[in-house]
Amino acid sequence: MNVLLTLSIAATLALFFGVLRLKNLATPVIVIGLLASLVFNAMEWNNTTSIFNDMMLYNNFTVAFASVGLFITLILVLFYSELSAKHEFHLPEILAIMLFGTVGGIVLLSFRNMVMLFLGIEILSLSYYVLAGIRKQNVYSNEASLKYFLMGAFSSGFLLMGIALIYGVTASLNLNEIAGYVNNAKGIVPPYFLVGVLLILSALLFKVAAAPFHFWTPDVYDGAPTLITALMSSVGKLYSFGAFVLLFNSCFIPLIADWEVILWIAALLSMSVGNITALYQKSVKRMLAYSSIAHAGYMLLALVGINNLTSGSVLFYALAYALASVVSFVVLYIVRDKKGSYDIASFNGLAQKNRMLAVVFTISMLSLTGIPLTAGFFGKFYIFNSALQSGYYWLTAFAVINSFIGAYYYLKPVVAMFASKSDEEITMPALSNSLLILLGILIILIGALPGFISGVI
Amino acid sequence: MVVISKNPVHSVMYLILTFFCIAGHYLLLNAQFLAIVHLIVYAGAIMVLFLFVIMLLNLNQDSVPKGSYLLPFAGALSGGTLLLVLVSALKRSDTLIQQSAADASLGMLKTLGKVLYTDYVLPFEIASVLFLIAMVGSVILSKKDPLKEPETV
Repeated sequence: MNVLLTLSIAATLALFFGVLRLKNLATPVIVIGLLASLVFNAMEWNNTTSIFNDMMLYNNFTVAFASVGLFITLILVLFYSELSAKHEFHLPEILAIMLFGTVGGIVLLSFRNMVMLFLGIEILSLSYYVLAGIRKQNVYSNEASLKYFLMGAFSSGFLLMGIALIYGVTASLNLNEIAGYVNNAKGIVPPYFLVGVLLILSALLFKVAAAPFHFWTPDVYDGAPTLITALMSSVGKLYSFGAFVLLFNSCFIPLIADWEVILWIAALLSMSVGNITALYQKSVKRMLAYSSIAHAGYMLLALVGINNLTSGSVLFYALAYALASVVSFVVLYIVRDKKGSYDIASFNGLAQKNRMLAVVFTISMLSLTGIPLTAGFFGKFYIFNSALQSGYYWLTAFAVINSFIGAYYYLKPVVAMFASKSDEEITMPALSNSLLILLGILIILIGALPGFISGVI
Repeated sequence: MVVISKNPVHSVMYLILTFFCIAGHYLLLNAQFLAIVHLIVYAGAIMVLFLFVIMLLNLNQDSVPKGSYLLPFAGALSGGTLLLVLVSALKRSDTLIQQSAADASLGMLKTLGKVLYTDYVLPFEIASVLFLIAMVGSVILSKKDPLKEPETV
């Protein structure tokens, strides 16, 4: 609760500073708010509290996921205010909306009531609708915002319908009571309960950008400002997957036979559609957007055979993916800023001109591929391990083949960086430079010592 | 009538009629507050918004773009499938109607307020964040910037 309050107060203060034309104060307030909420969040460790009539439950699961989310948001806020401030008339408002979105995300990681699930998803999505359209003069940004808004509103309708059907059966919105009902029913529930589960499932699959609900992803990720895309693909996925695990782990396990088929089909489709379409992309941004669909597929793999390894492996994977995707989108932003295009050709000769940028980008690409000694390798390792424990051998084999396909397109910009020559200078602001180095080191460190994170939950 | 009217303004008028019918259903279910709110919010506010948008867009026969015929077909197919699933699920549920003791205060304003401000006070407060985002978002997205943005990323 302290975390939510701190975030909301910091964001509201930033809004006031924006109105009072004290724009320089907004970023420090936001950063302090995020740091304070990281501390408050850590203080809740091993201190399970139920909040307000069992609306939320703040436990270790929440703390672990929320610390990753807050940390990545903090990094992105720093990047945004250093790199993008010159383009921006509304910096305080944008940062405040990022923070409000985080409030929604934390609600998603701790809800114990369907109303809170709906509110969390709405807060998170609404902030992304606004952020995606923040470049008002750019038609692609407008398109991204409108498309995301219309489709997102439609999927929220599905979620609400599902919640209503489940409420109709169980006469309760509380997760514990729904779980109690499902356990008592011993697998025999009215069919419209299952329809409710199906509708909630499709709404959540939409939110995590998994196929066959992925059609908005490439356009929205491509059209949104690059740093916002980094936010959507890293923390947005983390929160949505947190909600996914929380809901299905607590409520619907006895009905697993009914929904796991849908999940593995979605995982299969996401991996193949994402990876195969990414092969044909010329624009690195669009390629990363398709690859994020594939990564949603890998994460769904852990959910298919849901077991006690699921939440740990999803957390690890989400962290590894978030780090790598933030690095790659930030480097892409810098390259696009200098060269004016997202094409793979813009990466030509980057290694000569700015060695640090090239090395960090290579590390992030290797991590996305899943090469050993990077965080991405152990992310995939834990996910596959969790799927194997539940006996999904052929699905895991399929995922491994897909990772090899991924290696081809991830290495394309890397090859362009090291193989070709260029004579344009690329310089970096100091803070972003050191943040990128920090993230690169983190990816290697987590890859070398995975035990730090994996044993947490 | 909402769907088959050629004139969008007529469609909106028929939609208001539909909302009155739904409000009538709420009244029959002893949900007075819901009925009134439904009328105020939907028939009052949202429909006026609809009308404004339709008049601003100035739709007529020529300006409506001809879409592919595949699209309505796909829409009808997926919508029909969902309808089929829902209907068959409801049909197979014999426990659908559970008689519960009719409570006269159910659906009244007083009961609703009590629940909203005691059990559900946290969602009620969190919803304010949602509205704040919506307000700030719509203001910054519709505000005119003082100068043209540089070529952006």
